[in-house]
Amino acid sequence: MNMKITSTPAIAIEGLEQSYGHKQVLRGLDLTVKRGEIYALLGGNGAGKSTTLSALLGFIVPQAGTVRVCGIDPAADPRGARATMAYVPENVSLYEHLTARENIAYFLALADAMRGRDAIEGALTAVGLAEEAWDKRLSGFSKGMRQKVAIALALARDVPVLLLDEPTSGLDPRAVLEFNRLLDAAREREVAVLMVTHDIVSAVDIADRSGFLGQGRIEEEREASASGPRFDLNALHDRYARAGEPA
Amino acid sequence: MSAASLIAREEWRVLARNRAGLIASALLVLLILVANFTSLERRSAIEADRERYQASVDESFDAQPDRHPHRMVHYGQFVFRPLAPLAFFDAGVDSFTGNTVFLEGHRQNSANFAEARQSSLLLRFGQLTPAFVLQTLAPLLLIFLAFASVGREKERATLKLMLAQGVSGRSVIAGKLIGHAAIALAVGLPAFAVLLVFAAAGAAEWGSVALMILGYAAWLLLWAVLGVVVSALAGRPRDALAILIGLWMVIVILLPRALPEAASAQSELATKIETEIALHRDLLKIGDSHDPDDPYFNDFKEEVLAKYGVDTVEELPVQYAGLVSIEGERLTTQIYADAANRQIASESEQNAFVHAFSVVSPLIAIRQLSMALAGSDLSAHYDFLDQAETFRYDFVQRLNRMQAELLPGIEGDDPRISAAYWQDIPRFAYDPTDPFARSQNLVWPFAVLLGWLGALAALALIAARRIERAAR
Repeated sequence: MNMKITSTPAIAIEGLEQSYGHKQVLRGLDLTVKRGEIYALLGGNGAGKSTTLSALLGFIVPQAGTVRVCGIDPAADPRGARATMAYVPENVSLYEHLTARENIAYFLALADAMRGRDAIEGALTAVGLAEEAWDKRLSGFSKGMRQKVAIALALARDVPVLLLDEPTSGLDPRAVLEFNRLLDAAREREVAVLMVTHDIVSAVDIADRSGFLGQGRIEEEREASASGPRFDLNALHDRYARAGEPA
Repeated sequence: MSAASLIAREEWRVLARNRAGLIASALLVLLILVANFTSLERRSAIEADRERYQASVDESFDAQPDRHPHRMVHYGQFVFRPLAPLAFFDAGVDSFTGNTVFLEGHRQNSANFAEARQSSLLLRFGQLTPAFVLQTLAPLLLIFLAFASVGREKERATLKLMLAQGVSGRSVIAGKLIGHAAIALAVGLPAFAVLLVFAAAGAAEWGSVALMILGYAAWLLLWAVLGVVVSALAGRPRDALAILIGLWMVIVILLPRALPEAASAQSELATKIETEIALHRDLLKIGDSHDPDDPYFNDFKEEVLAKYGVDTVEELPVQYAGLVSIEGERLTTQIYADAANRQIASESEQNAFVHAFSVVSPLIAIRQLSMALAGSDLSAHYDFLDQAETFRYDFVQRLNRMQAELLPGIEGDDPRISAAYWQDIPRFAYDPTDPFARSQNLVWPFAVLLGWLGALAALALIAARRIERAAR
């Protein structure tokens, strides 16, 4: 990783407001994710999770508030900001007519992040995709296999920030465990991970902090305990069910 | 390699794996080659026919015995218009205007024997020429290949992933444009290759061929760019397809057929019968040279007698009837020329109306450009008629002068002159019109095509901004 680790948060959102028409989705969202931290952003449908990711990716210009990724404003310099981030969408969108290896090579080339054959194979190995699938077209892949390819692409980018939209959706329990090990490794490499998910169990296993998004802002944040169970799963479930209601 | 180049290359890979697209492209290329082959064959056959007919009528003319020159004025001559070298590429109006004119004294005949009147009705729906394939069918293929170029990426969310890699919306659109522009040029390549071979063989002017290729390249690029831009701006690929097919129907089918109707309604042409009646009335006004009381010809006779210093026509050293024929021909030719000029002015007005609308239907622009460069447009036809009429007038007046000058020395009731006199008359040699001489026929179509490409480039920039917003 080339980025110099500083005390500046890798992701810093302050007072973010966004509305579509008459519907206000975000109402002063504050959120920070530090280097080497995994943050699970939890929230119900329509809570504004995807809008938060869009703001980080520079797809929308915030109506109010500030967004910084590695100190870069994605609205002002989307290319600069995107160069520091890898993004794994919820519904993996890769080319069906290309093989796993070709997909990764193509998107890396688009990102101007050419990696050697070893780096691509290393990423594919890391996500646990069977070697015999590397040179097969994605049209024959299951949802889980596609998800692995997308995650391999994100890993191969080797950037300081990872944005994951429902990353464990479609993965079997074993693959989830493998995925969590990858995130562990990313944390070791001081990568900041923002994970938008419905999967509380996975979040409990891996996140350092979790935040409940409701009524357009973080209603409650919890930190993983350093000793004993990392989170109280029942309490999280209960809070998740009440997300969006007054605390 | 830039992101745009990568995207272009990927677009080619997608299209190369699209079996239906490949078959359609192969069929179009085949159609262009077949059109070239059949058009060249047809051109050779027509050319050979016209050369044979011309030789035959020239031989018959030369074989006429010693005669009174006025008999030869009425015997007349047929002249055939040779086809322009590039007429195989675009037959233009040749098939409808006729290519043969009978030249005789006292009247101007219109061109006859149009291909469309002699061939099957199918010809009226358009000959299979390379121009027809490139103008009408190639845009359909380009639409089919490009309508989903950007919409497909939006629908499958690969666009979002591309943008997330730091690729700008402009690079995405530029990549798609490069990809489809190259395909458009590849579609035109077989036709362009034939044109280049034709020019290299010295059968056509390099300038005309180069402009023809540039014009069609612009026309094909226009459809490729339109396909990509509509794909980027429309919601879904199927919406883009519906919009593009609608545009094709309006631009290629509807407007080019509706506009001439509107033009003829706005500036109506006289019918053949009306023209004949008007001509007959004007001819009657000239007067009657056989009427001793006709004021015009009485004045004419007085002028002639005064010029030669004699009192009676019998004392003239030339045959008076010959002089009357010369004067009569001068007068009738003026009447016919005026009528023809009025007709051409009306037709030109109609054409100007249609060409002005090439701004909304660039097919009209490429058709005008193509026919002008192929030497098969209406201007080339007028040029042929003009040269034929100049030749006719000279030919008839030569015979009239022979009558006036040679007959007084010949005795007998049936004076004749030697056939050698008309055998010496130079034959009609058509000098093909130079398309560059009428630069407005070339500049305006290019301006329209480039204007469309410029407008589409502006829309492409808007589309680039919009696809970034659409990714959220």
